[in-house]
Amino acid sequence: MNIWQRMASWRGLIGWLILVTLLALYPYTGLSGSQLFTLSQVFVLVTLASNWNLIGGMTGYVDFGHAVFFGIGAYTMGILVTPVEMAFSPHLTFWQALPFAGITAALFALVIGLPTLRLKGPYFSIAMLGTFVAMREIIRIAAPITGGGKGLDLPPVLDRISDYYFTLALMGFVVAFIWWIRRSEFGATLIAIREDEVGAEMRGINTTQHKIIAFVTAAFFTGLVGGFWAWQNTYIDPDVVFIESRTVEMVMMSMLGGLGTVWGPPLGAVVLYFMRDILWANLLDYHLISLGVLLIVLVLFMPEGILGTLGDRSSTSLLHLWRRERHPSPSNQDSGGNT
Amino acid sequence: MDKLLQALLNGLLLGGFYGVMVLGFSIIWGVMGVINLAHGEFLMMGAYMAWALFRAFGLDPFASLVIVMPVMFIVGYLLQRLILNRVIERPHLMALLVTFGISISIANIYKVVYTASPRNVPVSYNGSVELFGLTFPIVKTLVFFVALSMMFILHLFLQRTRLGKSIRAAAQNKNAARIVGIEIDRVYAITAGICIALTGAAGAMLSPTQAIFPFMGAPFTLKAFTITALGGLGRIPGALLGGIILGMTEVLVATFVPGIGTNLGVAVSFVLLVVMLIVRPQGLLSGLRPMEEVE
Amino acid sequence: MKRLLPLLVLLVALLLTACPSPSTEESATSREESTQTEQQSGAESSSEVKVIRLGAAVSETGKYAREGKDTRQGYETWRKWVNEEYGGIKVGNERYKVEIIYYDDEGDPDTAARLVEKLITEDKVDFLLGPYSSSLTKSTSAIAEKYNKIMIEGNGASESLFERGFKNLFAVLTPAGNYTQSGLKLLADQGAKTMVLAYEDTAFPTSVAEGAQRWAQEYGIEVLAVETYPKDVADVSGIMSKFKDLNPDIFVGGGHFNDALLFVRSAKEINFTPKAMLITVGPSNPEFVAEVGADAEYILGPTQWERTMSWKGPWFGTAEEYAQRYEKLWGEPPTYQAAESTATALALHVAIENAGSLETDAVRQALLDLDIMTFYGPINFDETGKNIAKPMGTIQIQDGKIVVVAPEEAAVAEIRYPMPPWNER
Repeated sequence: MNIWQRMASWRGLIGWLILVTLLALYPYTGLSGSQLFTLSQVFVLVTLASNWNLIGGMTGYVDFGHAVFFGIGAYTMGILVTPVEMAFSPHLTFWQALPFAGITAALFALVIGLPTLRLKGPYFSIAMLGTFVAMREIIRIAAPITGGGKGLDLPPVLDRISDYYFTLALMGFVVAFIWWIRRSEFGATLIAIREDEVGAEMRGINTTQHKIIAFVTAAFFTGLVGGFWAWQNTYIDPDVVFIESRTVEMVMMSMLGGLGTVWGPPLGAVVLYFMRDILWANLLDYHLISLGVLLIVLVLFMPEGILGTLGDRSSTSLLHLWRRERHPSPSNQDSGGNT
Repeated sequence: MDKLLQALLNGLLLGGFYGVMVLGFSIIWGVMGVINLAHGEFLMMGAYMAWALFRAFGLDPFASLVIVMPVMFIVGYLLQRLILNRVIERPHLMALLVTFGISISIANIYKVVYTASPRNVPVSYNGSVELFGLTFPIVKTLVFFVALSMMFILHLFLQRTRLGKSIRAAAQNKNAARIVGIEIDRVYAITAGICIALTGAAGAMLSPTQAIFPFMGAPFTLKAFTITALGGLGRIPGALLGGIILGMTEVLVATFVPGIGTNLGVAVSFVLLVVMLIVRPQGLLSGLRPMEEVE
Repeated sequence: MKRLLPLLVLLVALLLTACPSPSTEESATSREESTQTEQQSGAESSSEVKVIRLGAAVSETGKYAREGKDTRQGYETWRKWVNEEYGGIKVGNERYKVEIIYYDDEGDPDTAARLVEKLITEDKVDFLLGPYSSSLTKSTSAIAEKYNKIMIEGNGASESLFERGFKNLFAVLTPAGNYTQSGLKLLADQGAKTMVLAYEDTAFPTSVAEGAQRWAQEYGIEVLAVETYPKDVADVSGIMSKFKDLNPDIFVGGGHFNDALLFVRSAKEINFTPKAMLITVGPSNPEFVAEVGADAEYILGPTQWERTMSWKGPWFGTAEEYAQRYEKLWGEPPTYQAAESTATALALHVAIENAGSLETDAVRQALLDLDIMTFYGPINFDETGKNIAKPMGTIQIQDGKIVVVAPEEAAVAEIRYPMPPWNER
């Protein structure tokens, strides 16, 4: 790898940091509260999609219940800050409670991941889906702490500009972090697991350890996002927090952009948000139908997502990139059909 | 004691229904390796069809099976030919995502067509009879026996007929089946047709006992997972056993835990799913084909 | 260079998101128009029409699409009447026409919050009308509170909405806790002594159930058992068989339409016959009779409003006159969601006239002082913003028809009590 290539390989991060800086300056052009709020919702989606991509796209373990970590983060925040007197309510501030939202989600991921990540692909997906639904009902039953189906009120403190910077910072960090992981030895191992888990194991890689780390990391950030979401929505109940569509969105965004790529999921998130909001605003009832049809079309006709379809495959598909860097030999030919 | 017996009876009846409900899901998975996340939506389609036939012609939901099953067979056949066939050879994720897309589309199309208002088929015989000191709900008992006979007929079909044998061959070893001259694509399409027809029939039989609405499908898909995890993949006795275990668990918890029993019953079935997947991914009955072999 | 392509696309897309979307542009132009209007009216051109701008995020799609449509039609019934017949809202000596900006919140809390934020900060509405459902009202009322905008709503009944100390949230409908009040009183008068209660474990039914227990105690009815079940439950036979053993006089079920179906099915199936079945949501909906058929007979249910009720006010006349007007406009009979939406807007209208001002503080005080009688029933807010004056109606299905049996002042028929066993009908 010559210096030019090395420089070129940093371009992605530099471009991203410039983008984040521009976004940080954007409010000075006089954005309204609702524009700030819209953007921070997009940032949240980008963060979620990138996180899901870490376990679902890079490691190849399709997590159909990832929103469970969002929910746990949200409930941790809710329980810690609620002004209502429950069986356990320490009345912390947002910043005091936030780390716990991430940590609780990460711990839960560790506990649930140790057994479930041993399962093969589809069984993991189902186990997570089951975990997700079971958790919703467990939260409902644990009414003395969680408020049950009645939900929990959070302090109604709203500040759109700090929300904006918080979500921007979190998104900036998470995407840069994913970018870094993708380039690291660790990321390469994750992809090796995705492509051939048994083979990776035989080469002496501790696959379980790698999977767990990726899973717990993704859960941690998803928990943080959940905690933040609970705060800015000022109210949570099991049906608002644990909605299937949140996982669906994460999957769709990653799929749309390109599974396992760094920039695909963020792009997918933005495009999907855009489409839902503007293009389908006039389709009313039909927009969920189109969403479903879009998913079918995506899988059947462009399984590599926007990036894989639009751009030069080898430059965007993570798989090909990795293959080319590790084995700059004709061996990248036979990886053609794999995605 | 009476209460326990009654609960066991209710669980058994529910289990029989679950058994036939899960078959379509479990066989498609076993034969084609496709996890059909739109399973519940096909159930919902069957239920709406029965409702529409009842509303329009006063047709009894059990009689309407004669119409529902062939129509749903065609739906399943086309589904396989047009969509599933393209993802069978691809990684599992693709099939999951495609069927998920189908599930969202169908549910929302039904919402546009039928609105979200819950429907129900008020048959005249939806009361109960007392026998041996137990209360037999008439409709649910009927469903149980129809379900059992469907399973029996399907069993005979798979064991005795040429087509049935082809399906089993395709499930066990696709390439070998191809070599001995079985048209895999046709066999797959017919399997999908049969499975969707069964699922639609389950939905139609459900229509007098439950509220029908466009989004009723998702819980059934999840329950189908649980039952498959309990009973193993693609086998009729396993489906029945898994169904009865789930049915009895739900009813027993709902009947004997005061206050939050029904809540807990729902949670239990999903906790059961996760635990089964982790502890015994091959299902409860040994000797059945373990789930893991299917690729 | 190729590697930068995705990033570039991302950049453009992100910046585009914040750019005014087509709909924003539209409202931006109308904002300019309205500033023009204000300027011109400031120059005392009496021919110019002044405008009060209201905003509402209502579901057009998603799970509350049907209720959202009723809500919108209810608001529109009022708006058309105010602008075309009444001649505009009187503020001091001037008449204001009304403009309502609607957005579709898709029944999604994120979308609802964003749209309410937009109504306040971009469309600069003067007042907010509420969305459908308690949970959406929860998140959006916090935003209204933050910007000190009054939000008046007719579709979020949970009492916890009013326990957060918000000063800008008002609701014209009877709060959830009082849903069963008139029904239980009537049943107690008929001699009912015991009751069982089952409710869906979500915000609104929980409020209803807590209220039911309170009223049961008040009227000397003993509560034998309380059961909960999850949303979209598929089978309630476990609950019903437990209740059957207790042999209660009254069964109270709280939840949503499909639960109501299940309760009736299940009760008949296991031959559980209490003397009365009072089910929260469902019986008052005409579709309930259509779906359940003859088994719906004798079922009781609370209702916020029925056209047969004897309420009458100076604005839309009687409940029946309102219903006829609504039918003429929309070609379908009004649901109670529609009626309460009209009443919501009407309450705001009267408060603005009483205040003689569009200032938030003045209108809030006028709302607190409000004490009027309308086609929808009496409206009188307590200090938390709940309408404490309006009693909840109770209906019974008699010969396939929905008739009001309580409270006395609104009743049109006698209750049929007790309910005969299922096999003797």
